[in-house]
Amino acid sequence: MAARSGWDLTGRIALVTGDRRGWTPHFAAALAEAGADVALAGHAGSDVHDAARSVRAAGREALVIESVLTGSEDVDRVVAEVTARFDRIDILVNNARVDFGKPLVETTDAEWDAVMRLNVRSTFLLCRAVGRHMLAQGGGRVINIASGLAERGLVNSAAACAAQGAVKQLTAALGLEWARDNVRVNGIGAGWLSAETPAEEAGRELLVRFIPSKRRGRPSDLCGLLVYLSSDASDFVTGQMVYVDGGAMAHA
Amino acid sequence: MLDHLDLDDRVAIVTGGGTGLGREMVLALAGAGAAVVAAGRREGPITDVARLAAASGARALAIPTDVTDSHRVDRLMARTIDELGKVDVLVNNAGMVRDQGGAPIWDIDDQEWHRVLDANLTGAFYCSRAVAKHMSGRGEGKIINISSGFGLRGGRDNYMYACAKGALVQLTRTLATSLGRYGVTSNCLVPGLFPTEGVNASRETLPSGDLIPIGRTGRPQEIGPAIVLLASSASDYMNGATFAIDGGALAGGYAPTGHAPLVPLDMEHDGGA
Repeated sequence: MAARSGWDLTGRIALVTGDRRGWTPHFAAALAEAGADVALAGHAGSDVHDAARSVRAAGREALVIESVLTGSEDVDRVVAEVTARFDRIDILVNNARVDFGKPLVETTDAEWDAVMRLNVRSTFLLCRAVGRHMLAQGGGRVINIASGLAERGLVNSAAACAAQGAVKQLTAALGLEWARDNVRVNGIGAGWLSAETPAEEAGRELLVRFIPSKRRGRPSDLCGLLVYLSSDASDFVTGQMVYVDGGAMAHA
Repeated sequence: MLDHLDLDDRVAIVTGGGTGLGREMVLALAGAGAAVVAAGRREGPITDVARLAAASGARALAIPTDVTDSHRVDRLMARTIDELGKVDVLVNNAGMVRDQGGAPIWDIDDQEWHRVLDANLTGAFYCSRAVAKHMSGRGEGKIINISSGFGLRGGRDNYMYACAKGALVQLTRTLATSLGRYGVTSNCLVPGLFPTEGVNASRETLPSGDLIPIGRTGRPQEIGPAIVLLASSASDYMNGATFAIDGGALAGGYAPTGHAPLVPLDMEHDGGA
């Protein structure tokens, strides 16, 4: 269908970072179904191996690279392995993060630093390493997966909010910094998603009443936007955070 | 995933669908499989775009409509439902192109204020009101409002346009919060500078793409994929969102483009840590 031609990712190489939340297989599968080969990077206990299976199930090539993604040498190694295998990186999806909730006065130095290291520093390191590559190859797409905490405050979440806000501003600033280099940098602000089955959600449904769409989201709810922002169809979009949250952000 | 972008069996209305970006929206929705209604004040342009959409195999209607007249808006919806069976997607695109210079606030009379607010805001309210019960009753629907960068930032002497476009963002959020429970989602698209015939006609000189971070103005057909995304089931959990397709203009601002300070870091401040 003609309307889809700009969305096609055939021949594109994506690097998606994974964590323990279980979203990565959905994102990797969506990119693969649109035609991309996908490299997955994350620590040994993360969902990157599941993600690789979903890529292969879609008939595309997958590469798993185990990495904690917080040190520059390690991240540079990840990028080197991807380019050694596929020659290029067209799409970077910074999906890996940790969740953390604790009153600020009880938050330890180590906890604060870990949240910043895992949620901000690793995004910086990946943007820098992959960005150098994209600038040299003449273009690319970066998609930072953040959450509503990039915009809204939340009790017991100062560290998480500070980290998400940093990712949002990294997105805006890099969108401008690389604007003339054909590298587009955008973010997706995920709402309250659940990779669990509805049965596991029971007992936590109180919050659903406050989501205008009256349901929790699923990782797959982000996939249409993810493919859009990964493709040529979004060439005039950069520096944006787009929220997919069932209306939570629109609500008081 | 791309299957979710199919709009087969969907019915979409685009107000202001005869010209400018509205025309591209009609063609993109038709290209994705939707039956389309081009609504607009002037019969010539909407008939023309409906003919083009039909030539690509879509069912297409041109329905002359002044969206500032609520009776005519109600007739637009009634005729669409009569001929195409339902309304799945409403794109509130009709509006006036921003007046070139605007006017100092002391020169704006009551009538002018209401005229521009009506065209850019009240029409979107009338159209949303006219489809809301229909969509809610069916348990699904997509409302897409078209705002502007001037809806999010001030514009010198652009009182009515900026106020109306800003209000469209709030209309979006209020529709999202109110109708989400019925399965109706509402989102807002903010196009940046796209040279279309309307913009050309109202401007003595088009701003150069140099003022836009990515270095060019938008291509009218680039609005299509964003509209198809928001009209399709691929965006079912997007609700109340506003995002810009503007070459990076709103990520910073027009003024700082090219302003790229290099400021050395005072490492002594860090205590050498």
